[in-house]
Amino acid sequence: MIEALKQRLSEHFQLTNLTIKNAGLAFLWVEKHELEMLLRQLRDFEGYTHLSFIIASDHIEKNQFKLTYMLHNYDTKHDLGVHVDISRVNASMHSIHPLWAQAWTYQRELKEMYGIDFPESPRVDEDFCLEGWDDMPPMRRDFDTVKYCEEHFDDRDGRATEENRQTMKVNIYPERGE
Amino acid sequence: MKLKDVISPFYVWQRAFEKPYTNTKPIDTRPGADAYRGFHVNDIDKCVGCSSCQTICQNHAIDMVTTDKNSMPGDSGLRPRFDYGRCCWCALCVDICPSGSLHMSNEYAWVSDDPDSFRFTPGVDEKPWYQHEQGYHRDPNYNLLKLERAEMDMLSTEEGLKSFDEVVSGYNHEQAIAEADRCIECNICIATCPAHMDIPDYIKAIREQDLEEGLRILYKTNPFSATCGRICTHRCEDDCTISHLGKPLAIRWLKRYIIDQIPAENFARILQDSCEENGKKVAIVGAGPGGMSAAYYLRKQGYRVSVYEANKRAGGMLRYGVPTYRLPDDQLDKDIDYIISLGVTMHYETKVGIDIEFNTILDNNDAVFLSTGLNVPSNLRITGEEHPRVVSGLQVLFDTASGNNPNVGQKVAVIGGGNVAMDAARVSRRFGADVTVLYRRRLEDMPADPEEIKEATEEHCHFVTQAIPVKIVPADNPNQAIIHWGEAEMVDDGKGGRPRPILQDDKMHTETYDTIISAIGQSGDYSFLSESIRNDLSLKWHKFEVDDRQRTRIGNIFIGGDVANEVADAVSAIADGHNAAIGIHQYISEKV
Repeated sequence: MIEALKQRLSEHFQLTNLTIKNAGLAFLWVEKHELEMLLRQLRDFEGYTHLSFIIASDHIEKNQFKLTYMLHNYDTKHDLGVHVDISRVNASMHSIHPLWAQAWTYQRELKEMYGIDFPESPRVDEDFCLEGWDDMPPMRRDFDTVKYCEEHFDDRDGRATEENRQTMKVNIYPERGE
Repeated sequence: MKLKDVISPFYVWQRAFEKPYTNTKPIDTRPGADAYRGFHVNDIDKCVGCSSCQTICQNHAIDMVTTDKNSMPGDSGLRPRFDYGRCCWCALCVDICPSGSLHMSNEYAWVSDDPDSFRFTPGVDEKPWYQHEQGYHRDPNYNLLKLERAEMDMLSTEEGLKSFDEVVSGYNHEQAIAEADRCIECNICIATCPAHMDIPDYIKAIREQDLEEGLRILYKTNPFSATCGRICTHRCEDDCTISHLGKPLAIRWLKRYIIDQIPAENFARILQDSCEENGKKVAIVGAGPGGMSAAYYLRKQGYRVSVYEANKRAGGMLRYGVPTYRLPDDQLDKDIDYIISLGVTMHYETKVGIDIEFNTILDNNDAVFLSTGLNVPSNLRITGEEHPRVVSGLQVLFDTASGNNPNVGQKVAVIGGGNVAMDAARVSRRFGADVTVLYRRRLEDMPADPEEIKEATEEHCHFVTQAIPVKIVPADNPNQAIIHWGEAEMVDDGKGGRPRPILQDDKMHTETYDTIISAIGQSGDYSFLSESIRNDLSLKWHKFEVDDRQRTRIGNIFIGGDVANEVADAVSAIADGHNAAIGIHQYISEKV
C-alpha cells in the first residue's frame, strides 16, 4: 500500500527517502519547497485528512532542524510522517495553517521552543508556555540547560553531594599518592 | 426558545447511569503505560557510583550520597539521590547509566505534605514501586555510550615472530580521538590504578588535542608513561565503567599516544621540572621502575640523588625482563633518560654489598630507598634440575635483552604460568623453537596477564595444563634433557580457595627437549644487607613490611617495588617510588 502511495507521489514530488516502520507507520522525506503541496495532496487525494502533530528535532551537527508532520488516515488507520530538513540559520518554514487550522498552535510552540519562524502563522510570536522567556529557545541543543538551571533555580535546603574521586581517595587510599 | 433548548439539559441525566470515562481515584487506579517514565528504581548492588546520572542530569536533580555501600576499586560506594522537585523525568540518567542499574517504574502517583520527602535514594529508601515490572528501561538497541574500542594496528602473528620488533603499532590521531571520545570522565579508574593517575584528565587532554597538558598530567604521578603505555597491567581497564556494557577504554594505549607524539627533546620545555637544591642526599639501590620513579620525584624536591645499579643500564626488569617486542629499548630510554637528565647520579655496574657496602651508603645519605626487585629464580625442587639444559626464564630474558642468543634450540619446554614464563616462551618462539608450556594448574589459574597468554597462544605456544614436573634426567644427546611429568587432578582445598593440583602417579609422561626453561617464580636477594639490618627490617612471606609511604621500621630506610608489594608489577613499583619520595621528604623535613 505504502509503496503504491510512494509511486503515485513520486510522479509529482521529489521524495528523497521512505522508511516503513511497521504496517501502520511510515515516514517520507521531502524537500522544503514541496512540503505544502505534498501535504495538500495527501489530505485531499490520499485520505490523510488528520494532522496529528508537528514536531522538530535539532540536528546541530548538520546545522539543520528536522520537522516532522504526522498525518493520519482514518480509513486505513495508517500514520504517515513527513520529514523536512531546514537550515538552523534563520530557521523558517511555510505555515500550513491554511491546510489544518490547528497547525498554528504547533507552529507557535516550535517558534518558542526552537526559534523556528512560521511567517503569517496566527499568534506565532506570542508566548506559548514559557511566559517571559528571554533566553535562547530552550529546545535548541546549544542551549545550556544546566547553566540555566543553576542560574535561575536554587537547590532546596539540605541538599549535598559528594565527589566520587575524593570519596574513593579518602576511603580507599588515604595515605597514597599526593 | 426552541423545544430542544428546553429539554436538552435533561439528556445529561441519561449519562448519569453510564460507566464514567474518568477513574474514581483512589478506588480505581490507572497504571502508567508499560514504558512510562515514572519513579526511579536503582539496583544498588549493580550501581557503581560513577556519577554519570548526576553529570548528565540537565536539571541538577541528582546528588551522589554515602550509603552503607563501601568504597572499593570499581565502586565509589556513592549512590544517586533524586530531588523530585527538580526532576523532569527525561530519563537521560537511565539512558546513560553504564552499569545498567538505573531504570524507571511506571508509577507516577506520590502524595505527601512533606516537600522534603520527595528527595530519595532509589534502592536505599524503601518505596512501593521497586517491584513494578513495567516502566522505562533503556532500549538495548540504542546507547548513548560508545561501546566499541578503536581498533589498534598490530603486526600479524607471522610477522611478529620474525623479529623482536614491537608488535603493537600505537594509535594514530584519528584512532586516539575516537577512543578518547568514549571516556565519560567518571573517575572510577583513578582508585584502581596503583599510581592513581589522573586518567580522565589526560584522556580529556587528548580529546582537546592538548598533548603537552597531557604530558604534564602523566608526569604528576608516573614518570614511566612510555613504558606503562605499553606494558602496564592496566588494571584500570578492568574497572572502567564502560566495561559493564562494552569494551573498556584503551587507557594504556591512550597514555602511550600522548608520549609517542611528543619528542623526548621537548620534555624539559613542557614539564618545566625545576630542581632547586635543598642540600640533602638520598641514595637509591636499584635502577628499576621503583628506584627511578623515586629518583624523579626526589630530584624534583631538590634532593641530590645517587642511584646504585648492578647492571650496565637502568630499567631493571623492564630492560632485562620485558622483551623488546613489548617494550622497545628506545621507549624505555625515553623515560629513563629524562629522569637522569634532571641531575640524577647513576652508579652502573655497582653491586651494593660487593662494590660498595650498604652501611656506607646509609651513612653518607639522609635516607635510602631500596627497590632491588626479584631477580633470583626459584628452583623447581625436582631431581635433575641442575642439568645444563635447564635454565631459568630470567636468564633467557636477560641474555636476550643483553644481545646474546640464549641458544634454546629447536624444542623448548617452559615450566610456569606467570609473565616470565610467557615472555620466555614467546622469546623462544622468536628464536625458532617449538614451545610447550607446562603449568601445574588450570589455564584460568595462570598468574600471567590474560593478554600475554592470548598472545602466546596466537604465537603457537602449546599449553599443557595440570602438568606437574617430577624429574629431569640426561638424554642420550648431551645437548638435550628429558623431563618426566605427571598429570594433575584438581582437588578442592576444603577452604574455599582455588583447587590444588594432585599428581596422578599412573598418568606420567616423558618428553625430550633441547632446553627446559624454569619460570615458576623469583625472589629477592637481600644478602647485601647486614644481618642486623635484615633483622630490624621486618620480612613477611619474603617481602619487606612497609607502610603506605614505603617506610620501614628503620627510619631512614624506605623500600618499594617487587620486594615490598604483593602485586609485583611495574606500575605498582612506580607508585611505590612516588610514595617513597613523599615519605622520604616528610621524614627528612620532620628531622630538620
